[in-house]
Amino acid sequence: MSSPATELKAEASSSHLPLVGPFANLYNRFSSWRHSLDLPNPGTVENIQKEVKATHLTNFFFDGGRADLTKSVSLNPAFQVTHSFAFGSQVAPPSYNFGAVFANNNLFLQGGMDNEGNLNMRFNQGWTPNNVTKVHGQISSQVGHSHQPLPSRFDWNLLGGLLTITSTSYLAKYTSTDKSWIATAQVQSSGILQATYWQKLSDKVDVAADLQMIAAPARRDAVATLGAKYDLRMSTFRAQLDSTGKVSALLEQRFAPTFAFMVAGEIDHFKNSAKVGVGVMLESTTLTPEEMGMPPQGGMPYPPAP
Amino acid sequence: MPSEETKERIIKAVDLGRTILHYGWIPFIIYIGYTRSNPQPSLIKLISPLA
Repeated sequence: MSSPATELKAEASSSHLPLVGPFANLYNRFSSWRHSLDLPNPGTVENIQKEVKATHLTNFFFDGGRADLTKSVSLNPAFQVTHSFAFGSQVAPPSYNFGAVFANNNLFLQGGMDNEGNLNMRFNQGWTPNNVTKVHGQISSQVGHSHQPLPSRFDWNLLGGLLTITSTSYLAKYTSTDKSWIATAQVQSSGILQATYWQKLSDKVDVAADLQMIAAPARRDAVATLGAKYDLRMSTFRAQLDSTGKVSALLEQRFAPTFAFMVAGEIDHFKNSAKVGVGVMLESTTLTPEEMGMPPQGGMPYPPAP
Repeated sequence: MPSEETKERIIKAVDLGRTILHYGWIPFIIYIGYTRSNPQPSLIKLISPLA
């Protein structure tokens, strides 16, 4: 015999079904349709041009002098702190940046603060193998402008798709079956069109091309960039040429697993100017070789975001 | 429609939250890393670039 209260409960829960039902149905139909197409996962939006960005030296170039001191404190979970010094640049004042990274199997925390007090933060939390929450933010401190709202920016990335609040983009990516070449295209609603092509010529050589067009009412512009990357046993060499007349190159030479030396150069043929950069990267660890179980890992000061 | 007082309180709370995040994020990472590292390092080695 059931009490009136349980009857009421059962009735209430069944009355919710017509509300949720169509959505669950639609989701199931959509996911079965996706399965029937049997397409590979193209990856995330933020990684669409990952290969091109790794080949071009736009993100790696620097001028003046710089020194990166990375200290690995723990390997599992990964925890490292970085002190970066940059000075003598033509375009930026001398700066110091302190960074900390912590990562374990499903949590990734990264923070960096420069000498002006600007904070960069990144937070990734994996819930299941294909469900990740990512938060990326920048907070800058402006002295003397405490009444103005501080400029800060946050991107939320849920479930592998980017929830962009301010703009819409259309993206396409084509990867060849043997993954030796990748073509991408991207149109942003602000009138920016970008097309890239990346090809792996051999084990050690990657080439990439990038064409960016801006067709906004106030500004019409286009830049084409061509670059190549050579991965040699103890060094990486990148060379790049673009349609604004810039020729640049970057050599990263690793002399020991914990010591790397970098030389960067750029000549702007249209403006008749040149930039030169020299840098060192030092890695140290508080761990003994036995505690690590292997020689220290080389590479960039920050581990790539998962 | 919230009153002016509520609006002001919300703005103040958001501002405080941002300040805490701004100056607390890196100490938070260092705390998490320091307590969960294996083996646990000494604090001076963690902060100083030379040690």
